[in-house]
Amino acid sequence: MSDASVFDELPGDLMIWVLIVSELLVFGAGLAAFLAVRAGDPAGFGAAQDALYRTGAGVNTVVLVTSGALAAWALRLREDARRGAARLALVAAALLGVVFLLIKGFEFAGKAAQGIGWDTHPFFTFYYLLTGFHAAHVVAGALVLLLVAWKDTPRNIEAGAAFWHMVDLVWVILFPVIYLLR
Amino acid sequence: MIRNPLLRAWTALIGLSLGSTLISLWQWPPGFAAGAGMLVLSFAWLKARVILSSYLRLDAAPFWRRGFAISLGVFCLLLLGLYLLPGLL
Repeated sequence: MSDASVFDELPGDLMIWVLIVSELLVFGAGLAAFLAVRAGDPAGFGAAQDALYRTGAGVNTVVLVTSGALAAWALRLREDARRGAARLALVAAALLGVVFLLIKGFEFAGKAAQGIGWDTHPFFTFYYLLTGFHAAHVVAGALVLLLVAWKDTPRNIEAGAAFWHMVDLVWVILFPVIYLLR
Repeated sequence: MIRNPLLRAWTALIGLSLGSTLISLWQWPPGFAAGAGMLVLSFAWLKARVILSSYLRLDAAPFWRRGFAISLGVFCLLLLGLYLLPGLL
């Protein structure tokens, strides 16, 4: 098999896959650094992690994977020439992104009310950095979904949905490492 | 059996997410915590594979699906090693 045919096998534009791999490497390095620093102070990291609201983060996971399903469904609808339904699915996916951000906002506000900041403990430095950077991607992704709902060619929707799935993909790895591994 | 592949993927993701949250909320005896962590990371790897295969449609690109699965599997093993490191020191 030639190189060209291997790359041709990838669904969507090659550049969106370059972006997905780049983001996975950036977040992956952050998560590996988080666990490496934790190895020097597991008790301190465990105590800090107990201040997190695991159930809320679990709900946010359900919200995000549901939003991802809607974005994937939108592409299939658009390919079936059901433009109106595809647009509705994209807007619904973006709205679930907003729900994710609201829950995340309550979580951050709760930490601030407890007097927990980024410099309280190294755990929270990583927590704010990684979850905050991910939340910034959710903001961008929700805007991209709305943009491709407006400019709704199948190619645009495929690229916008792929960006959203990358946000989803990062979260399903970030969530267990930051919130669940005790 | 769910026939729609997208709905099947979503159901699997919800099940794996709820499963890993429940595993984490359970009060495991100290000797079992490492096993619970292993399960949580295994679920994360499975969720990533579902998103890549179904949402990102790599099920139609077996070369890349395998490449991503192996790379993410190696990465999850690295995370598991770092997670278990304090018990080995």
